[in-house]
Amino acid sequence: MKLSRTSRTHLEEKGVTVVHYRNRLQRGATATTAAAAAVLLIAGCASKASNSGGGTAPSGGGSKAPLVIGASVSLTGDFSDSGKGVQRGYQLWADTVNAKGGILGRKVTVKIVDDASSPTQVVTNYQNLINKDHVDLTFGPFSTLLTIPASQVAKRYGYAFLAPAGGGPDVFKQNLTNFFFVQPAPTTQSGDVFASYILSLPAADRPKTAAYAELDDPFSAPIAENIRSKFEAAGIQTVYKQVYPSETQDLSPVMAAIAAKMPDVIVGGTQSEDAYAQVKSLVQLKYSPKFMFQSNGANSPLEYPNKVGAANTAGIMSSADWYPGSKASGSDAFTAAYIAKYGGTAQTVDDNSAEAYAAGQLVEAVAAKTGKLDNATIISSLHAGSWPTVLGDLAWGANGAPTGEYNLVQWQGGKLLPVYPATVAQASPVYPKPNWGG
Amino acid sequence: MHALIQGIILGVLTAGVYALMASGQTLIFGIMKVVNLAQGAMVILGAYLSYQLFTSFGIDPLLSIPLTTIAMFVLGVAVEVLFLRPLRREDRSELSLLVTFAVALLLEGIMSVTWKTTVRSTNTGYANSSWTVFGYQITLVRLWAFLLSIAALGVLYLLLNRTRFGRAIRATVQNPESARLLGVEASRVSALGFGLGAATAAAAGSVYGLLYPFNSGSHYDLISRLLSIVLLGGLGSIGGAVVGALVVSTSSAIVASAISPSWSEMTFFVILLLVLLIRPQGLFGTTARGAI
Repeated sequence: MKLSRTSRTHLEEKGVTVVHYRNRLQRGATATTAAAAAVLLIAGCASKASNSGGGTAPSGGGSKAPLVIGASVSLTGDFSDSGKGVQRGYQLWADTVNAKGGILGRKVTVKIVDDASSPTQVVTNYQNLINKDHVDLTFGPFSTLLTIPASQVAKRYGYAFLAPAGGGPDVFKQNLTNFFFVQPAPTTQSGDVFASYILSLPAADRPKTAAYAELDDPFSAPIAENIRSKFEAAGIQTVYKQVYPSETQDLSPVMAAIAAKMPDVIVGGTQSEDAYAQVKSLVQLKYSPKFMFQSNGANSPLEYPNKVGAANTAGIMSSADWYPGSKASGSDAFTAAYIAKYGGTAQTVDDNSAEAYAAGQLVEAVAAKTGKLDNATIISSLHAGSWPTVLGDLAWGANGAPTGEYNLVQWQGGKLLPVYPATVAQASPVYPKPNWGG
Repeated sequence: MHALIQGIILGVLTAGVYALMASGQTLIFGIMKVVNLAQGAMVILGAYLSYQLFTSFGIDPLLSIPLTTIAMFVLGVAVEVLFLRPLRREDRSELSLLVTFAVALLLEGIMSVTWKTTVRSTNTGYANSSWTVFGYQITLVRLWAFLLSIAALGVLYLLLNRTRFGRAIRATVQNPESARLLGVEASRVSALGFGLGAATAAAAGSVYGLLYPFNSGSHYDLISRLLSIVLLGGLGSIGGAVVGALVVSTSSAIVASAISPSWSEMTFFVILLLVLLIRPQGLFGTTARGAI
């Protein structure tokens, strides 16, 4: 499901780069200065008729040259499942925009090349897209692993880099000003919204004790650790904390140790299988905490009830950026278009696709606001103000780290609903969590 | 203390399943002096078969065991006849490592194509049920798994000790030359023995699928545990496999519960190393060819 299961596997995070196609006007200008390019672009945008068909424009027929966006995506290899989700998102956005006549009168073409989930191939791919194919814009690949080298290539050539799937801490440590992670918050802070919610409760209702079970993985344990530091600062006592390796086959002993401590809240820094195993063990041990949060796994609308039993999901919380039924900008249209093109239901929409789609929406929004499509304008525009997408309104710090929060979602009546913050809530949070079996 | 005792309960209940898998492994070694690296893959194949019977026809994994064991018995015999028998006797111990590893990879590939690599688990209606006994939780599925494994081991025991075929196997294990002189057909015993090992893998697989999520790659983790259990107990000793499984399971569960899951595997290997230093043939192994 679409919830930002940003870290289904740490390799699976997404990174998308958006690079502006260079149009013929830019092509002439890049040799001189960025300022000259901007002037030419403005001129180009302002005088449609004179531009079309003229100069270096590859396409004739009186229409403007297409806006070509290049992206390297993992269509094979370890990240191929998620990579294909990203590809669908890019393509869907291009189709949607083209159905409306394109951006600033230019049709959008997405040129996608396969990087086989390789961090060296991804560099070659972006160099080729920029230098050989002369794409106008570039969008990012999938995973932090690939986003880091790819974003450096984009930086070297002055391209904006919109990455829907590469939000690990190392990405932001690069301090790249051309980089934008297209999700509401850095991956390791996706659980902060749960801490915000708990601390928003009246003191009498807040949990007094907490236990933490964390998968040893760069995108799981840190999410729980961020929550723990906020809880401890607020006086919520840590009664148990355990980090388990990914090869741990049996979580029952860990959950038995947690149940023996009877904590008010259990925080799981989880991926998928371990999230299911935590719940199954707790059910077998007959221990139901007042609050339970799992960073990932629990935000999968289809898999989760299948794996843990629908009745056992009641009251469990997780976080998400996009979710079925989201009222964020363009989400309804996105969902409808996705189902029309790829089939399934709102519950089966891939969140990787939603995040990739959002990258496209940002380009569209900048063009609508500034009338320009060059990389410099995109970079400077996105650094100012907030921008509406299917993931909600996004804004960034100087290093491309998003400054927002995820949405808190909770299982209620067999459905996953946003419950916090109030601006997106479709139901009130239920607490204490109902006992196992509903 | 409560968590510790709960951990021990979990460990003991899980031990039965590993004992069942390891008994097949040690049986094959006892008869043929072949270390079957495909045993883990056969367990996972057994898990898939019972998963498929459960999801397609609603047959409970515990009830489908007769079906899966027969199917896997046939597969085991086929593997022995097709891949192991052609090996020359004097090279068999060494080459069989390569051959059985190839069989493991072949099975893994077939399972990946057939069931994809998505992680599966067999979720029966009683998957999350448990009984409360003196404040401790006895999970139903683990209890069934334990009882069933004990029953399967009992059947195996009877087969080896009360039947003509069992006597032939034991005779072959103790002294293959004499057994042959007395009219035991060694190649037939080998084939049936390998089939029997595969059948125990199928029974264990049905139970394994109830306890843990699995996919085609799960056999790597399994085979390393199985080899450790068999080494600990003594190669060729079924009783040793049971004790080895108990040691592995309970030590893992206790350490995971009291200290950290990160240390549980290591603790076990420390025990294994100590045992092998003091008693290189394992807890119940014999230096000469012996009983199983």
